[in-house]
Amino acid sequence: MKLLNRIVERFPDRQSIRNVFAVIVTLVYSWTLFTSFYKLPSWMFYLNSKEIASVYAYFFVFDFLDSVLLLAVVLLLEMTLFLFVGKKDEFQARSMMVVLVLLGFSMARLALFQDYEDIGTFLSSELPWVGLTALIGIPLALVVPGIRWLGGALEGFADRAVILMFIYIPLSFISFVVVLFRNLN
Amino acid sequence: MSQLSRRDFLKVAGAAFVSVLSPRSLSSFRLDAGRKPNIIIILWDAFSARHLSLFGYPRLTTPNVDAFAERSTVFHAHYSGSNYTTCGTASMLTGMLPWKHGAINYDGLVRSEFVRSNPYTLLGPEYHRFAFSQNPWPDRLMGQYYGDVDRFLPPSAYSLLGDDGARILENDRAIASVALDSFLFSTQGGNAPIGSPVLGYLNKSRVLNFTDRQKSDSYSKGVPQVMNMNYLFPFRNEMVYGGVYSEISRLESEAPPYFAYFHLYSPHYPYRPRNDFRRLFRDDYRPIVKPSHPLSAGLHEDFILTQRTLYDRQIAQIDAEFGRLIASLDETGVLENSYLIFTSDHGEMFERGFVGHGFQFMYEPVLQIPLMIHAPGQAQRNDIHTPTSNIDLLPTLLSIAGREIPPDVDGRILPGFGGAVDEDRPIISMVATENSAFGPMKKAVISMRKRAYKLIAYPGYDGMDQAFELYDLENDPEELENLAAGDGKRLAQMKDELFGYLDAANRPFAGK
Repeated sequence: MKLLNRIVERFPDRQSIRNVFAVIVTLVYSWTLFTSFYKLPSWMFYLNSKEIASVYAYFFVFDFLDSVLLLAVVLLLEMTLFLFVGKKDEFQARSMMVVLVLLGFSMARLALFQDYEDIGTFLSSELPWVGLTALIGIPLALVVPGIRWLGGALEGFADRAVILMFIYIPLSFISFVVVLFRNLN
Repeated sequence: MSQLSRRDFLKVAGAAFVSVLSPRSLSSFRLDAGRKPNIIIILWDAFSARHLSLFGYPRLTTPNVDAFAERSTVFHAHYSGSNYTTCGTASMLTGMLPWKHGAINYDGLVRSEFVRSNPYTLLGPEYHRFAFSQNPWPDRLMGQYYGDVDRFLPPSAYSLLGDDGARILENDRAIASVALDSFLFSTQGGNAPIGSPVLGYLNKSRVLNFTDRQKSDSYSKGVPQVMNMNYLFPFRNEMVYGGVYSEISRLESEAPPYFAYFHLYSPHYPYRPRNDFRRLFRDDYRPIVKPSHPLSAGLHEDFILTQRTLYDRQIAQIDAEFGRLIASLDETGVLENSYLIFTSDHGEMFERGFVGHGFQFMYEPVLQIPLMIHAPGQAQRNDIHTPTSNIDLLPTLLSIAGREIPPDVDGRILPGFGGAVDEDRPIISMVATENSAFGPMKKAVISMRKRAYKLIAYPGYDGMDQAFELYDLENDPEELENLAAGDGKRLAQMKDELFGYLDAANRPFAGK
């Protein structure tokens, strides 16, 4: 009962969740768009503009799923690992730090290990990478909310990310309709 | 006694001639009158005809295929339309040359105006039509006419990971595959990281860890994997061939006549034969060392030989699986009423400083592919030596099924199946991955075989534009002596002819 009360008490407010989600959306969608530019020239060789738009529709749908999944992870961490440390009003800065570290881990590994020849290195280095990420991420998530200027910078970033979220999310819903339509036909 | 009139004589003689050329003329054709034959295609991805012991390869790589050849029509000079999967398979399925069908980029698609030129659409609903490609690129090509395929297994079927759940997107298979298989969840190399940083990363980690765990007593170096740069499905050929057999059995009992296309990934790289085949070919065989190509990576000969041996071992393993499959099909009588076609989409090369296929290499090992066609009940071998192309397969299938061949199709009915032998016919293959599918062909490597001679041209390649290669394949089957400098007259003739075809192919794009 005590634990449940603590969870209810510590559950972040909607605006904070929205801001963290905005940061996730901005980073996830921007990564996909950025990496798509490597492939776009080759798609233009054999896909027409309607098909390329459809490919992007799939991106936006899956990016939405990526973003929701990551938000769920962040909330889970907040309700478990960080439940008895820090304060409720530090959720935004703490979670943004978690998001930056987790996505940084994933993006760095995806960028570093792309080739077939890297598979052995990818596998053997996975555990050290995860360990290092936890080692860096958890202390940062605990310390950063206490550093005022950094916390402020992150919140400023979140405020601006909300604008991008209001562009990306409607795009995802339109994309969902496009994907649905293409698969119902 | 009635006398034959001249007209009657011509009719009888004509009918006899047609019957000699038609597939039904094969002495052992045992199909029930009025019943359409089943057609089964088994394709080994990246299988060079040059590695068939049947065609004189010094290693006994394919005893079972060789045995199958003894009751098939064997094509000794069969060429792919290209040197890599998408383009080679599209040529076979559309019956068109690459500069027409347009699937010229690595994971490209057939031009919309030619999508209907495929065996599934053209055979029609009279046939139960089945498709399975382990390689996602042909799967994507066939996804362009998904509605005409009655049963379509995803590339992950028969893989160790099981069905990947992509079925929910199968109505939009071609585009969904570009988005998901080649971008969000995997990449095709070329400096493009995976596009999905959460699900994409988790999937990559899951697949690679799973594949790594497949190393076992029977596969100490790991199991084969689709595709080499795509981190897709690990599989075992034993499972795949078991799946092929059970699928044919199902089709046989439920849906004859049927058309079934199995595009099987092995012996494609990565070459990972089972342990009992890893001990094969520890011999003294040393192929002729050929000069490094200016566009090759200049790999060391020792490395090339190691890769060649691994490839041969992989072939030996799938040959054993093929042998078991054929024995089962014999036992159940499937081959009594089915055409079984064995072929590849392109070859593989272990020479000139290069290992693999694709890129700018248009030499015989990467272009010459096996083609063997077993007619229902056929018991005798029939050898065809005239050069043929894989664009000929579609018209031949349509002819076997009694369907009309659309005028757009470039291929011809194969000799031995109703087609005439034409020694003067040019056999054209090309690779143009750096060219837009929507414009004229400006940058390509094109090869043209005519009679014994073969020309290779590199239009659009900096410094290679005038670097023609001309080989006499009859006297120099290893393509060692370039006759371009010494036989100017023949070079000029073949160049004029080839560039005439290229100009004609580029005409629809005039002004682009």
